[in-house]
Amino acid sequence: MLSLEGVTYRYAGTSRPSLRDISLTFGDGEVVGIAGRSEAGKTTLCLVLSGLAPRTVGGSLSGRLLVDGSDAAPLAIHELAGRIGIAFASPATQLSGVAATVYEEVAFGPMNLGLPRDEIIQRTDEALTALRIEPLAARDPARLSGGQQQLVAIAGLLAQRPAHLVLDEPTAQLDPQGTRLVGEALTRLANGGASIILVEQKTDLLAAVCSRVVVLDAGAVARDGAAGDVLGDERLSSLGIAAPASVRLRKALAQAGAGAAQLAVLDEPLR
Amino acid sequence: MTPPTAAPAISLESVSHVYQPAAVRALDEVSLQIAPGQRLALIGQNGSGKSTLVRHLNGLLRPTSGRVLVDGHETVRHTVADLAHRVGLVFQDPDRQIFAGSVEAEVAFGPRNVGMRGAQLGSAVTRALEATGLADARRTNPYDLGASRRKLLALASVLAMETLVLVLDEPTTGQDVAGIDAVRHVIQSASRDGRTVIAISHDMEFVATEFERVVVMGGGRVLADGPPADVFAAPQWALLASTYLEPPLAARAGERLGLGSTPTDAALVAALRAAQ
Amino acid sequence: MAGPSPIHRLNPLTKLLLAAVSTILAVVLGGLVAPAVIVALAVIVPALIAGILPRLLRTALLLSLPIAISVLLVNLLFYPAGREILFQVGPIRATAEGLGFALETLARIGAISGAITLFYLTTPPAELVLDLERRGVPARLAFVAIASVQTVPAMVERAAAITAAQRARGLDTEGSAWKRIRGIVPLAGPVLLGSIAEIEERTMSLEARGFTRPGRRTLLWSPPDSGTQRAVRWLLVAALPAVVLARATGWLPA
Repeated sequence: MLSLEGVTYRYAGTSRPSLRDISLTFGDGEVVGIAGRSEAGKTTLCLVLSGLAPRTVGGSLSGRLLVDGSDAAPLAIHELAGRIGIAFASPATQLSGVAATVYEEVAFGPMNLGLPRDEIIQRTDEALTALRIEPLAARDPARLSGGQQQLVAIAGLLAQRPAHLVLDEPTAQLDPQGTRLVGEALTRLANGGASIILVEQKTDLLAAVCSRVVVLDAGAVARDGAAGDVLGDERLSSLGIAAPASVRLRKALAQAGAGAAQLAVLDEPLR
Repeated sequence: MTPPTAAPAISLESVSHVYQPAAVRALDEVSLQIAPGQRLALIGQNGSGKSTLVRHLNGLLRPTSGRVLVDGHETVRHTVADLAHRVGLVFQDPDRQIFAGSVEAEVAFGPRNVGMRGAQLGSAVTRALEATGLADARRTNPYDLGASRRKLLALASVLAMETLVLVLDEPTTGQDVAGIDAVRHVIQSASRDGRTVIAISHDMEFVATEFERVVVMGGGRVLADGPPADVFAAPQWALLASTYLEPPLAARAGERLGLGSTPTDAALVAALRAAQ
Repeated sequence: MAGPSPIHRLNPLTKLLLAAVSTILAVVLGGLVAPAVIVALAVIVPALIAGILPRLLRTALLLSLPIAISVLLVNLLFYPAGREILFQVGPIRATAEGLGFALETLARIGAISGAITLFYLTTPPAELVLDLERRGVPARLAFVAIASVQTVPAMVERAAAITAAQRARGLDTEGSAWKRIRGIVPLAGPVLLGSIAEIEERTMSLEARGFTRPGRRTLLWSPPDSGTQRAVRWLLVAALPAVVLARATGWLPA
C-alpha cells in the first residue's frame, strides 16, 4: 500500500508548489489512472511517489509518503527501488547503457540490489515471461523499437518485485503499434493482480486498463473515483482532459436519438 | 476549395530514396500531387517512409531518383535555406530546436532568416503568437513554459515564416486538450489563407476530422490515398491492419450499425439522423 | 558472449593495457620508426585479425584529423628552430625542420588514435564495466567512465536532429563561413541543454533501479580471463621500463 498524507511539494528554486496538500491512498492490486492537463502535477506526483522527489530531484516536501504504513522519509532511493518501480516516457534514456542483451538489462535492478545469482535468474525469467518478451532476450536493447524498449523497461522494474509500478506516460513517444503493445502488457499485468499507477493523456488507454481514475488540477486532486464515473463526467473538458472516444460517441449518439440497442454497440470490442 | 486546374503546390514524381551505406530503400517510386490549400495527412507505421518523404519537401533530403517540385521549382536546384521561404517544417521535439532566451526571440528567428524585417517581422511574430495562444508569454523564457506550450512555441516559430506550405511532424503527440485545440485552429486558418498543410500523425481521430485527404504509407510506398471517408471505410480495414493502423472508433461504430462509412463523430451522427 | 574474432574475445583489461602501453611507448620513443612499428604490430595486425581494418582507419582518421591538420600547419609554417626553407608565402616560411617535427608528432598521434580506436571498436562498454567490477573497481566509477564515452554518439545524433530543425527555419549551413559561424548558437544551445536533460533523466532511472546502493553488485557473468593473457599483460607492463632503459643506455637508437 502506498499513500500520500497532506503532501505539498515545491521544486528547488520555485515559489509555487507543484503539489498542494495531496492525500491519496493506492491499495494493493489497484490499477489507478492519473489524468490532468499539462503541468497539472502528474509527473511531479510520480516523482514523489517513487521517492525521486526530493531525494534525487531536490526541492522541498512537506507531508508524508507512507509505504505499507511506515514513513518513507528515512529511506534512501535505493531502498525504495525494491518497493516502487518507476518508468518514464522516453524509452532510450531508461536503458542502463551497460547491458549487451535484453536479459542483462532486465537483470540490472536485481544485480544492483546484490541479490544471489539464482534469485536474479529466476526473477529475470519471470519478468520476461510476464511481458511476453522471452524472444527478445538475446537482442541488443538499443536496437529495439520504442514499444519494445518500453516493455523491456517495465520488465526491468518487475524484476525488482516492487509493490507498486508507477508509469509516467509510457506511451507518449510511441507509435500506435507500440502503444498497443504496452497497453496489452499493462492489461495482462493488471489482470494478474499488479498494483499500477498509470499517468496518461490517452484517456482511451486509461478507460481500458484502469478501474479507478484520479484527476489532478493545478497540483490538487480534482476528481477521484471509478474510471467509468470520472471519465464519463460531463465536466471533464473543463479540467483539460479529452473524454475517451467511446464516451464522446455515446453522448453524441444519445443526443442524436440513438436507441439502446444502437448505444450497446459501443460496449462491444469493435474490430 | 481549390480550383482543379491550379498547379500543384507540391509534386513528387517517381521519387525514390535510398539511405546509404545500409542501402535501405525508404521511398519507392512515390508519386504525389498536392494542390494549394489542401489539408493532407500522412499516416503509417514508423519506418513506412513518412518522415523521409516530408524531409524531401524542404530539401533536407534529395531524391535518389525522381523529382520533387515545390511551387514548380525543383528542390535539387535550391538550398534548404532557400526552400525554407516556401516550406515550413515543424519537427516533433521542440527541445531539439528551442535556443532563444524569450518566446518572442524564438519565434522571430525563422521569419528573420527568410528575409522579414521591421514592421512585417513584428506583425508576423504577433500573428503566430496569437494563433498558438502564446501572446501573453512574449518575454517568457521558453524553458519556463510547460512541455505542451513549448510544442506550440515550435509551431509558432515556423508559422511566423508564413510559408506557402506548412508541414507538421506529429503535431498532437504529447499535447493536452488545449494544445490540440490550438493545433486544430492553426490548421484551419492556414488552410483558409490558402496555405497547404501536410501533417504526419498517429492520431486517427484528429486525422479524420481535420484533413480532407489521407495518404497511407507502408514500406516506402503509397498504399491508399483519398478522403477519410474512403480510407477509413470497411473495405480498407484489412490494409490498415496490415500496417498496424486502426480506423477511428466512429468508423467502426458506423460500420457495425450499418450506417456506411462514418470516419468522424459528426459523420456518424449525421448518418444516424438520416437513417431515422 | 562470443565475440566475432579472437581480438573481440580478449579480456577487456588486456585490450585496455595494450592501448595504454602503445600510447605511452609512442609518446616516449618518438621519431618515425617506433610509432610505425607500434602501429603495425599493435594496431594493424590486431585490426586485421578482428576484421575491422577499414572501419578502424576511418574512425581513427576522423578522430585525429582536426588535430593532425593543425599540428601540420603550425609546425610546418611556424617552427621556431627552422633553418632550411622549403617554400615561402609572404612572411611565412615553411621549414624542413618544421616538417620533420610535424611528421614525428603526426606519427605519435596516428599511433595513439589507432590504439585507442582499436580498443573502442573491439570492446563493448558493458564488458569493460563488468570486468573492472569483478576486479574490485566500484561499479559507479566504471560506469561513469563508460557513460561519458557513450554520450558522444547520442550527442552527435542530437546535433544532427537540431541542425535539421534549424535549417528548416532558414538557418543557412550551406553558405559563407561567417554565416556558418553565426549558426553555432542556435545549434550548440539545444545540443548542450538537451544532453544535460538526458543525463538527468538517465540518472533518475539508474537511481530508481538501485544503482546507487552501497556495496557490491551481483554479477551474472564477467568476461573470461586466462593465465596466458595475465602473462601477456605483465609483459606489456614490463615493456615500459625495459624500453625506457634501452633508450637511455643507447641500446635502442632514436
